[in-house]
Amino acid sequence: MRHPVRNAATLIVIAMMLGGVTVAHAQKRGGTLRVAYGNEIAGLDFHVTAGYEMIWVATNVGCGLVSITPEGKFIPDAAESWQISPDGLLYTFKLRNNVVFHDGTKVDAAAVKFNIDRIMDPATRSSVRTFYEAVHSVEVLDARTVQIRLKHPYAFMLHMLAAYRMGLVLYSPAAIQKYSPEDRRAGKPEATISCGPFRLIEWVKGNQLVMDRFDKYFEPGLPYLDRVIIRTIKDPVTQMAAFKAGEVDFLADFSVDHVDTLRAQNPNAQIMTGKETTPMVAMMKVTVPADGKPMSKNRAPHPIFGDVRVRKALGCYGIDRKEIVKLAFKGQATPWLGIIPPGTQDTVDVTSLCPYDPAKAKALLAEAGYGPQKPLTLELLTNTEKAVFNVIATVIKEQVARIGVTANIRLVDKVSWLNTATQDGPFDMYVEDLASLLVVDQNAYLAASTAAWNSARHTDTKVDDYFARYAREMDSAKRKVIAKEFQEFSVENLYWNTISGSPFYQVAQPWMKGYTYQAEFKVIYRKVWLDR
Amino acid sequence: MRIYILRRLAEAVPTILMITLVVFVMMRSIPGDPVVALLGDAFTEEDAAKVRNEYGLDKPILVQYGLWLAKLAQGDWGTSILSGRPVLKDVLVRLPVTLELIVLSMAVALAIAIPAAIIGALRQNTWADYSATTIAMIGVSIPEFFAGVLLLLVFSVALHGTLPSSGWVYLPGTCPMLVCTGSVWANMMHVVMPAVALGIGRAALLTRLLRASMLEVIRTEYITTARAKGLAEKPVVLKHALKNALIPTVTVMGLQVGFLIGGAIVVEALFAMPGLGSFGIDAIIARDYQQVQGFALITAFAFVVINLIVDLTYSLLDPRIRYA
Repeated sequence: MRHPVRNAATLIVIAMMLGGVTVAHAQKRGGTLRVAYGNEIAGLDFHVTAGYEMIWVATNVGCGLVSITPEGKFIPDAAESWQISPDGLLYTFKLRNNVVFHDGTKVDAAAVKFNIDRIMDPATRSSVRTFYEAVHSVEVLDARTVQIRLKHPYAFMLHMLAAYRMGLVLYSPAAIQKYSPEDRRAGKPEATISCGPFRLIEWVKGNQLVMDRFDKYFEPGLPYLDRVIIRTIKDPVTQMAAFKAGEVDFLADFSVDHVDTLRAQNPNAQIMTGKETTPMVAMMKVTVPADGKPMSKNRAPHPIFGDVRVRKALGCYGIDRKEIVKLAFKGQATPWLGIIPPGTQDTVDVTSLCPYDPAKAKALLAEAGYGPQKPLTLELLTNTEKAVFNVIATVIKEQVARIGVTANIRLVDKVSWLNTATQDGPFDMYVEDLASLLVVDQNAYLAASTAAWNSARHTDTKVDDYFARYAREMDSAKRKVIAKEFQEFSVENLYWNTISGSPFYQVAQPWMKGYTYQAEFKVIYRKVWLDR
Repeated sequence: MRIYILRRLAEAVPTILMITLVVFVMMRSIPGDPVVALLGDAFTEEDAAKVRNEYGLDKPILVQYGLWLAKLAQGDWGTSILSGRPVLKDVLVRLPVTLELIVLSMAVALAIAIPAAIIGALRQNTWADYSATTIAMIGVSIPEFFAGVLLLLVFSVALHGTLPSSGWVYLPGTCPMLVCTGSVWANMMHVVMPAVALGIGRAALLTRLLRASMLEVIRTEYITTARAKGLAEKPVVLKHALKNALIPTVTVMGLQVGFLIGGAIVVEALFAMPGLGSFGIDAIIARDYQQVQGFALITAFAFVVINLIVDLTYSLLDPRIRYA
């Protein structure tokens, strides 16, 4: 007790050392992680197939050049380092020396070039091709050095490689050349060869997907798990029962409606959520084909929402976002208006620009010629994918009725919705949550006038200019200014009508350790271990 | 008998073809295009046109149907548009699960219906009869999904996983996957809740039907004769009365297979079972035409074969029935 401070410090150091030792030994190796998805995996061509479920397999079977942390920091993957030229046009990646594909072939510069060229080839019909618009060419400098040349500066090149549609996945060129696109889509293990911590063992659709540890994974000691088995449990009640009974270790996506029940049933469950990166929208159609042919370039204003006053009457002042969040999400979402969801980089809260004001909404409708003499009736399209869509549609129907507007809800299945919304089909407004967005730039493929997914079918090229200016501005402070200006422009025009963020939940058993929540972007089991 | 079976199977061919044609036309008549779902974010009109051409979706419907039939004649059931997997392979993986579910749910139904009907008929207008009738009414009124959720909440949640809530374990030697362990016990544990959920409604229906048949049969002269000859009540009821009373019930059982397949869709989805029901409903939702055709074909075929088996059992119940 003569030197209490020193003694205490010594104890702390010993404790830290012991702690360190404990941590080092804490990660138990082995075991099988049992995962439940809420939706079926559509297919397993990582460059082509759509859907988060496929991506969550790709982030474990695949590796790319770089990855991104939840804090937005870029970290090495197959590339150990990278350099960006001062003009922002050349990205040079130095590959690690010890990265091999699951078939034993080396991950070298030629393999990287092969993969990016494959994605950019229109014949591949890659769903990520659009993200590579800025890429001019890929050059192999030597076996371990690959250089990507851009057409113009692109501030989000690393974001794109790390996370757009969840990032670049490298396939073994040998496997690509040997097997057909159908083999990859069908998830034949010998055709699905990448360089991630797990290798695909089998996928029996509707039954299970099995991944085993890849012993030659480039990060020594990882992954900890021997095996991951994924199956689909669509019904949230069954998901909860399976979780409560300990039949699954991890629910990769869990319905917001049932979170409170699950929490009450399983006080020790790890319920994970975070920033809302997905927008819940009530999209209004702005133009229709003038010649009656869907997707025609000859456009005419939509009979209702072609008038910005009507868009603002309903989308801005006629919808009470707080009430929607309270009723549809039990308050577990953020009322939001901007084109960029609340959890996305460079977002600005512009919700206050549209306070709920039925009187102002009515006045705007009257100005546009609607009123008791000419009541406004519209069709509100939604789909059966998530129960919350229908709840939101019902609340909107009730809210717009308060301003004298009749909304007829048309509930369809997901494919019918896709066909109508993305193929210029007949609708006035739809409710959906769209893709999870890391940065504003990512929304270009949904909201630019030229985008295939521009479901509002607006034709305003100012939107495209904002996206281009934002993406090409290399100064982050200036980008923020552009983002703010863009958000305000978006509120003025309401080509994109966000209602709120769309919360995302994952649930893990208390014994599942080492998992880092990254919303829908990345579901990675590389550092997961089982403490039981 | 053999000729009868072959004739019945031959007669079934036009029925099955008609069903597949109706499904083929209906699927292509409803809104929705699988190509949009297939291409997803990469959708362009040009790519969509190419894909439609690749899968023959740009041809007239009857031409498409003809091509499908021609491939089918060669044993090719087509390939799933969305997953790229061979349809026949997936059907064969899933068929045993649904067959086991249907057979066991029918067994559950009979295990409940036969004793309940006998008690109800022999003790007509007593508390036992009223109880059996009331339970039957309740059973008929409970939809499969509701019974399933109740069972799930009791046996998986409240009783801490006494029975597994979801998934499937195959019988030894039947597992179609690389990674799987077959087990009779685990299989039974997995199938019991779905089979009860699906069978309970059928049990109620069969109880009411069988009770009415039993009441009719036990009043016939040959039963009175059997009793007058001093035969014990047990053989009179089980050997003479029940056997004859079962004939209309067996007919209805065959027809109930269609309802069981429909119910299996709901039950398989609820218990996350890898059966044909979930295969079919997923295919319809995704507009995966090839997969829907595979589902329609196998269910139509199963319906025909099961009804044929039902017809053949008549001769076991009543030796006077002969097949020619």
